[in-house]
Amino acid sequence: MRLTALLSMAARVVIPKDYRFGTNRPWTPAAKRLNPPGKKRRKVFVEPIAPEDWSVLRGDTVEILKGKDKGKHGKVIQVFRHRNWVMLEGLNTHYRYIGKTGDYRGTYIASEAPILLHDVALIDPSDRKPTDVEWKFTEEGERVRVSLRTGRIIPKPIVERRDGIVPQQWKDGLKDTSPEDTLEKTYVPSLKTLEEEVMEKLGIQEKRRPQRSYWY
Amino acid sequence: MGVLSTLMRGLVRGADRMAEFTSKRGSRTHNKGRGARPTGLRLSSRKFLSIRTMIPEFVVPNLEGFKLKPYVSYRSPRGTEPPLTAQSVFAEVVAPRIKKDFEEGTFSKDQLEKYGFEPNQDGKLFKLYPKNYVR
Repeated sequence: MRLTALLSMAARVVIPKDYRFGTNRPWTPAAKRLNPPGKKRRKVFVEPIAPEDWSVLRGDTVEILKGKDKGKHGKVIQVFRHRNWVMLEGLNTHYRYIGKTGDYRGTYIASEAPILLHDVALIDPSDRKPTDVEWKFTEEGERVRVSLRTGRIIPKPIVERRDGIVPQQWKDGLKDTSPEDTLEKTYVPSLKTLEEEVMEKLGIQEKRRPQRSYWY
Repeated sequence: MGVLSTLMRGLVRGADRMAEFTSKRGSRTHNKGRGARPTGLRLSSRKFLSIRTMIPEFVVPNLEGFKLKPYVSYRSPRGTEPPLTAQSVFAEVVAPRIKKDFEEGTFSKDQLEKYGFEPNQDGKLFKLYPKNYVR
């Protein structure tokens, strides 16, 4: 039962109750170093925010309200829901050396630190100032974010695909069906099954019938 | 020791007795199939008689002028298709015929066969119930 038990354990991810989430993904060696199996650290208290109340999405431009880079606008790169963190591009940085080998001290790079959701605010596109945002429904029934100060709808940010493909600028290759051919409705409803229709079209005549057989 | 590391250690040290014994394991004289259905008869003289009709054959129509290709372009939006139910097929195919006949006055309940009604599935090659074809 060892291999099957191992596989089922890998499929169902079990997180210990006092797991401390960091900025690294849980399967990386850095995250495993942060959470060795027998560790006991002080519990991190996270303000519970319901999934439907979360207003900052990846790709949004937000303004930082507290901290070193107070007042600056940045684009959200990553969102950590389990600790209410937001990572902005190039803001709230500290500097460190990376790739140290032997005597070489490594490359000096700026690495971003996560900011609490409470310390950032969405920017109103009309006057470019930070606002509080609420989720409301439009007349069409679409759920949108509305800024409380001006009442302007903040549109959802366009997230680029990981493979860098922009769907609108895609050039079809030899094996790609064009959008018009894909959306063409060519279905003609009929009472025949697919097999009967194919037989009729190809002119196959089948007079034999399968012998009666029984199974129990 | 954690559960995962104990399992890994057990895996490294011992064999997994519960794994499926497939044709990939065992000696080279060990002949085991993978569940393919036979395509003929095994005769009493230990020969194998292959029956042509038991071997599946792909019926491919002529694809000249066929516009669909293996992949779909990224530019295409998500289209919608109304769900295909028995009721929708009836409403599109049979209902107009019945309505036309009713208005002409030639509709009768005993002649439902001309609209496609099948009281039983005898004599059909592809029976709907019990389904005797593989889709």
